[in-house]
Amino acid sequence: MTPTGIRYISSREQTMQDRTGALGRLEQVVSTPEEFERVVSQALPILLERATNSTKRFLRETGQWCDDVAHEKFALRWGAEYLEQFFIAGRSEVPCRPLFLLDAVVAKQHSRPEPFCYHPDLLTPLGRLIDGLVSRAAISRDALIALYYHCFGLGPGQVITVLGLTGPAGQRIYKNFKRWRDSGWQRTMDDMGITECEVQDLCSQLQRHPQPSNSEAERIIRIAQSHYRKSEPDHYPCLSRRQWEEMFLEGYGSDYRIWHLALCLDCFTAAWDLGFRGAAAIEKPRVEFHVRP
Amino acid sequence: MEREQDLTDYRDRLLNAVKAGARRSACGTSDSIQVFVNQRRVGLLDGKGVEATLQVQTDVRIDSVQLRSEDGVLLGGLSAPEYGFRTSRIPLMRDTIELRVQNYAQGGSVSAISIPAPSFFHRVRRGLVGVADSAAPRPVTFAGSGMRAIAFAQVLLAVALVGLVADRTTGWMTPAHPPLSVTQTEAPWAAPLAEVMKLEQQLVELSRMQAKAVDTIQTQQQGMAQLQRTMAKLSSTQETVASSVLTVKQEMEQRRKGAGRDADRMTRVLMSKAQSEQEQLEAEIHSLTVANDQLSRERAQLEQSNLELKKRLKSTGMEVSKATVPDREKPVVAQQSEPASPPQMAEARTVPQQPPFLFWVTFSEGTNQDSIDQWVHDMHGRKGALSEGWQAVEIVPPTEPMERFLDQIKQTKIVKAVRISR
Ligand SMILES: [Zn+2]
Ligand SMILES: [Zn+2]
Repeated sequence: MTPTGIRYISSREQTMQDRTGALGRLEQVVSTPEEFERVVSQALPILLERATNSTKRFLRETGQWCDDVAHEKFALRWGAEYLEQFFIAGRSEVPCRPLFLLDAVVAKQHSRPEPFCYHPDLLTPLGRLIDGLVSRAAISRDALIALYYHCFGLGPGQVITVLGLTGPAGQRIYKNFKRWRDSGWQRTMDDMGITECEVQDLCSQLQRHPQPSNSEAERIIRIAQSHYRKSEPDHYPCLSRRQWEEMFLEGYGSDYRIWHLALCLDCFTAAWDLGFRGAAAIEKPRVEFHVRP
Repeated sequence: MEREQDLTDYRDRLLNAVKAGARRSACGTSDSIQVFVNQRRVGLLDGKGVEATLQVQTDVRIDSVQLRSEDGVLLGGLSAPEYGFRTSRIPLMRDTIELRVQNYAQGGSVSAISIPAPSFFHRVRRGLVGVADSAAPRPVTFAGSGMRAIAFAQVLLAVALVGLVADRTTGWMTPAHPPLSVTQTEAPWAAPLAEVMKLEQQLVELSRMQAKAVDTIQTQQQGMAQLQRTMAKLSSTQETVASSVLTVKQEMEQRRKGAGRDADRMTRVLMSKAQSEQEQLEAEIHSLTVANDQLSRERAQLEQSNLELKKRLKSTGMEVSKATVPDREKPVVAQQSEPASPPQMAEARTVPQQPPFLFWVTFSEGTNQDSIDQWVHDMHGRKGALSEGWQAVEIVPPTEPMERFLDQIKQTKIVKAVRISR
């Protein structure tokens, strides 16, 4: 057994040396986008750790930390998010010292009033799944459209009818659905660190106790929606039933409808039957949560 | 242990995702690109192989601009500079997106232009119009946008300066009030006639300079507005170009079999028209910028001489008050550097009439009329109308800065409040 132990130690020492060297390089000035890309892509693990630790520290300092896997994953997820933004935007920030630029990017995010949606209820398996879906909807049109399915079980044709879409806008919905089923959903699960085992548990839980599970889902969806709705274009506020009616009748604002109704349960409930244009609408929608796409 | 493994797997997955970057997207070349400003979605760029432009103005400072595919993958982005202008070209699968972001004193603007890879149409265009430099028409040129930042900065400066001048001119430059006659025994001004006249002349000169400064600033503001209108016109022209291009392209497709040559001719006409329009506008902007610079220099000079005049005025004021000491024989302080007075001034034989300075005060409760009169007398002033508790008082224009003068008035025991406009 000894040789293994030695190898373990020496490889660890090697890692430490690499680490120090890499940190040193990251503290030096890089002056071209290409150099930035090269230096940073060689040090992604170190940088991820740094961004994650900053996020952990932030959570601790704001009394939002708890020593469990869900919190560890939460910190890792946001660390990776910041790292990605840093990697992309840093190219335009040269000349810079990458290590300190990352610190600045993270600090800037943490100085915002609500840097991320932290809520204890969003750290349960169901909460993480919903957080994943809704946060993805804020940046992905596929996920946005898929929310109609995950929350209410609507298929592409129904989505088109309910939103009163016509022409190419309608055609795109099919594409959104297809891409979400092919890859989008799985990627979201991966990015959230939701395991297949957890997915199965959630599915069977929903099957066994549909009523309490769905009302729990509705509660959590509202928490997530109210946070991520902030990513909507800021000229898309809530409307009254009357205003929605006008929009549907006159056929404008299809983007508005797609965005806001996916991210606002109340408006969706209010505007639910307007897309049917007099045809018999199905009964009022209720949250009927779907785990898989 | 299982927990550690779970976390390690997750970490690796995230790292791979960051490494893969834009390659993670399952979107094709024909899908639109979403544009986010400060992490808020602001619009779409349609990837249909034609040039598309998205212009966004915000009234908050811009931190970041991000491009994402329809499935949410971060494709590229830019963090905005604190102030000023930054641009970046982001090559995507087929198109290149050019991002321009700019922050000014209030808010910012972003433009995102998707430039299709050289296509059939561009080859045609290059052949016809001879545009050799780039594959894309330039909606707002680099210099144009930089200039806009300068223009905004100058407008702000100009506004600030107008505020300053207005502050100085209200009160003692307004000719609306009847002149206040000051008898010689009361006013210190009555002392050495030559000094007073010099003072008067400088006052006149100062006010003329200030009026000129106001004029210059107004001209500059007009220039600025024109510059901005031209800029707006330029970008709308470019939008027209882009849409004409689209129309032409559709037209060409329709006629591909039939009258291909017609379409070619149409393209040529449209493109050269747009081109010359753009050149004209760019020339206009250039000349406006030059004029603007000149105005700025002029304004700086005016400000400088204004400052000097004020300094001189102050020193003369002090000399005048020194000269009012009982010893009238005391020689007048020599003013070697003083320019010769214009003849019409030298010929003036009486004390020129000062436009009075009018302000309003309210008095502390229980102040009797006698002490008010005494106070007005001490100021060598005159009482005006009394309306709604505000007593108008006219005095010889104060020589100290307005703020200090008002502070002094406020510190007077019997005065409750003071204001200089009705
Ligand atoms: Zn929240
Ligand atoms: Zn709403």
